[in-house]
Amino acid sequence: MYELVRISCEEVLPSVILFIDNELPDENQYLIFTVHFQECPPCCQVMEHERTTIALMKKLLRDSCNEEAPAGLDEKIRRQTDQLAGQYQTEFFSQTTITELTVDGYTSIQVTQQYTEQVRHEFFSDE
Amino acid sequence: MGVTYALMEPKEGLGEVAVVDRAKESVAQKKARFERDAMQFTGQLYAAALRYTKDPQDAQDLVQDTYARAFVAFHQFEPGTNLKAWLYRILSSTFINTYRKDQRRPQLSDGELEDWQIYEASSHTSDQGRSAEDIALDSIVDADVKEALAAMPEEFRITVYLADVEGFSYKEIAEIIGIPAGTVMSRLHRGRKLLRESLAQYAKDRGFNRGESDV
Repeated sequence: MYELVRISCEEVLPSVILFIDNELPDENQYLIFTVHFQECPPCCQVMEHERTTIALMKKLLRDSCNEEAPAGLDEKIRRQTDQLAGQYQTEFFSQTTITELTVDGYTSIQVTQQYTEQVRHEFFSDE
Repeated sequence: MGVTYALMEPKEGLGEVAVVDRAKESVAQKKARFERDAMQFTGQLYAAALRYTKDPQDAQDLVQDTYARAFVAFHQFEPGTNLKAWLYRILSSTFINTYRKDQRRPQLSDGELEDWQIYEASSHTSDQGRSAEDIALDSIVDADVKEALAAMPEEFRITVYLADVEGFSYKEIAEIIGIPAGTVMSRLHRGRKLLRESLAQYAKDRGFNRGESDV
C-alpha cells in the first residue's frame, strides 16, 4: 500500500504551501507530510500558522472583492448574443456514397451518408 | 455515417480547445444553452474583470467582449467540463489581447519573476516575527484589501485572486493564464506574501491614525 518514508524539515518546509492548497501530487505525499507534522512540532507550527493566515487572507479577499455587476450588464450581453446569433450562416451539405461489395458470389450494397455542417462567422475577423 | 463539424476559429487564444460534436444543435438551441449555462457567471466574471482592468467601465466592456467570444466559440466547450474555468480563460486571453495591448505596461520578465520566487522558507527561524502582522489584520477594511490587491503587479494579483477568491486549482490557473503549474505555485506564494505585508502596513498606518482616516 502506502510507502512510509520520512523526510527532513528542509524537504517539508518549501512544500508547505502545496500541503495547505491540497496540491501535493498524491495521497502518499499527504501521508508523509502528515506523519512529519505529527513528529515535528516546529514544522507543524509553521504549517498551522501558514494555514491560518492563508484562510484569513482568503476571507478578507472574498469579503471585499465581491462587487455586483452593474444593472443592465446581463441585458447587454443578451442583446449582444442575439445579434451574434443572427449573424450565423449555416449551410448543410449531404453526401451519399453507395458501395457495391461482391464477396464469394454474394452482393451487398453499403450506403454511407455523410453530413457536413459548415458554420461560418465573420466576427472578430477585422482585428 | 460520419458527422463532422467545422467552424472558423476566433483569431487568438482559443485554439487549444478540443472541437466536440455538437452538429445537431441549431443556433437558437446553442443560444438558449449559452444563456442558461454561461450567463450564470456574469457577476463573478465582472468582479474578476475589475481585478484585471481596475476600472468599472473597462471591466464591463471586458466581460461583454468575453461573452461575445465565448458565444462564438461555445461549440468548442465540452459540456460536463469546467465551464467557469473555460470562461475565465477567455476573459484572460481577451484582456491580454485587447486591453493590455493598449497599456504598454512592461511585463515582468521570466528572470525577474525567478527573483521573486526565491523562498525564504528553508528553516523554522525565518517564520518568526510574523505574528505581529496577523494580529494587526483585524483592523483591515474592504477598501484596504482592494487597494492593496490593485497595487500588486498583475502577475501576482491575478494568480492570488484566481486561487484565493475563485478557488481554482493550480492546474486550472495554469490553463487560464497560460503558464506552467510550477509558476502558479511560486507566483501564488510570493503574491500572498506581498499582499500580507502590504495589508500589515495598512493595519499599522490605521493603528497610528485611528479615527482620522477616511479610507
